[in-house]
Amino acid sequence: MQPSLTKKIFIYVGAALLALVIAVPVLWLFIMSISSSTHLTTLPLQWWPDAPTLENYKSLLVYAENSPSASFLYGIRNSIIIAFAATAVSIAAAIPGAYSFSRLPGPRRKNLLFAVIAIFMLPPVAIVLPLYTVMSALGLLNTHFALIIVYCSILLPFTTWLLKSNFDTIPGDLDEAPIIDGANRLQAIWYVILPIARPALGAAIMMAVLLAWDEFFYGLLFTNDIRAKTITVAIADLAAGRVADYGLISAAGILAAVPPVVLAFFMQKTLVSGLASGSVKG
Amino acid sequence: MSSVSLFNVTKAFGEANIIKGVDLKVEDGELVVFVGPSGCGKSTLLRMISGLEEITAGEIHLGDKRVDPLPASDRDIAMVFQSYALYPHMTVAENIGFPLKMAGWSKADIATKIREIGEVLQLLPLFDRTPKQLSGGQRQRVAIGRALARDPKIILLDEPLSNLDAALRVDMRMELARLHRQLSATMIYVTHDQVEAMTMADRIVVLRDGIVEQVGSPLDLYLAPVNQFVAGFIGSPKMNFWPAQTDDAGRVIMPTGQAVLIDDGCAPNQSVTVGARPEHLVLCDSAADAALTGTVLSVEHLGSDTFVQLHCGIGAPDQIDINVRLAGIVRVSIGDQLSLTNADANAWHLFGQDGKRMNKIAI
Repeated sequence: MQPSLTKKIFIYVGAALLALVIAVPVLWLFIMSISSSTHLTTLPLQWWPDAPTLENYKSLLVYAENSPSASFLYGIRNSIIIAFAATAVSIAAAIPGAYSFSRLPGPRRKNLLFAVIAIFMLPPVAIVLPLYTVMSALGLLNTHFALIIVYCSILLPFTTWLLKSNFDTIPGDLDEAPIIDGANRLQAIWYVILPIARPALGAAIMMAVLLAWDEFFYGLLFTNDIRAKTITVAIADLAAGRVADYGLISAAGILAAVPPVVLAFFMQKTLVSGLASGSVKG
Repeated sequence: MSSVSLFNVTKAFGEANIIKGVDLKVEDGELVVFVGPSGCGKSTLLRMISGLEEITAGEIHLGDKRVDPLPASDRDIAMVFQSYALYPHMTVAENIGFPLKMAGWSKADIATKIREIGEVLQLLPLFDRTPKQLSGGQRQRVAIGRALARDPKIILLDEPLSNLDAALRVDMRMELARLHRQLSATMIYVTHDQVEAMTMADRIVVLRDGIVEQVGSPLDLYLAPVNQFVAGFIGSPKMNFWPAQTDDAGRVIMPTGQAVLIDDGCAPNQSVTVGARPEHLVLCDSAADAALTGTVLSVEHLGSDTFVQLHCGIGAPDQIDINVRLAGIVRVSIGDQLSLTNADANAWHLFGQDGKRMNKIAI
């Protein structure tokens, strides 16, 4: 049935509004990032700068010691290391964990799953003090390792839950068949379950990287210089001086979004392929 | 040696006993069918032989080797699943080659072997397709191909035809029977369809509530069921049952008062259940000689046979309807009165109060 004209108009207007709400802040951020600081403070405000400049990007990307660029570039490096390492560790642990929750029997296992979720629900503020004490006692403050460990505690419950609910949809016959075919349990997971769950795995990896990339609270508390400061903290630092350079902050915001966007671009195919694949039964 | 022996095998899930002590020997090269109503434990028993389900007690031997402590992957048994369980992300060729890959075969050897199987099962043109591009029958053949890959000596099939439509099912049934002859592998086949069981099996194992009720060739089960359950389960349409008495001479006195001779069983002066298959009831001319009389409720003309359902005034308080299979075309219509009797003293069965077959007692 063809939708009526009013319905069509309604849908398009709605879609346009949604796009506007999502796109306008990004657009604004971009405009600010190519404006000079004088331009940003001129009244009345202009929609488009008279002399667009890439000066802000340059001062972030061209390395100079003790400058915003140092803190920014180190921040990017630290965030990449921490987000990807935490994701790798979490996924590596979540796959067997989720498989076990999904496939193996036992009431204690089920209780454990709820414990995992309950811990995930705890606000970070509730556990930050004990964590800080522990990290401090172990001499791990201001290291990548500390943040990787802490981020794993956030990512692991999330990825486990996500993968578990996807494994649940895979028919049990499909991990019994490889065992009959001579595979052991790990081979069954590697050759059969994971390829089938690839879209969910892709989604889990992406969400995990994003969660870690965007994390601010622990990053702020557990790091104090460029050796371990993450990008979110570095950007906040740009705003913390006596004079906040909004152009610079905007440019940093745009640049900080690049790695996740690149990741999403490359994983897009994996994510979509899952939506199209059918079931096995005939 | 690829016989399968079960010794007092039991399975309990918590308090619930699913399999209650099964002893069975499946001979080398035999095709044995497990049959029974849903929930009788036939699939569980198959899974226990495969190793996918642990056994609670007892022993399972393949040939001379005890296998129940071994994991499924070490038993060298192939299995065809009801859902086929094809790997959706692999092509047909990869599906069939997967067990060989797991066994560490070289790529060249795998390619040769799967071509061989592809030829036998006419799958070669489909080798590059994925399971979702196949029809139900093709998927079934791929599943069988995967099971054959390692030249297994024992193949387990768990209701392999139940997802196919009726016509395809008959074809695949013949194909499986042909494969069994060709491979001379031992096969254990689970089904709830007694026609499949009768047509394919060398021997049938009838299960109920985790107990083996009877083991025998299809005709053994048809001709001499050991109890009322097996009698009712094997044969289609079902055997008719009605209550009767035996007299001093061991003749069976029908509810109509007519006395009939039944070769099997006949302890004098007892309440018994008479069992007669629809094809073992014949029309008789006079109501006086009839063992049963009734009014026709429905008639189905199949050409080769005529199925008649009769409402008989026996077995009060539950009035019993009797199914009759008359050979050829018989002109009867609804409401007619029919008289029936037994043509052959061998053909009817007697069951005691406990449901067990009664055997002939010399008088």
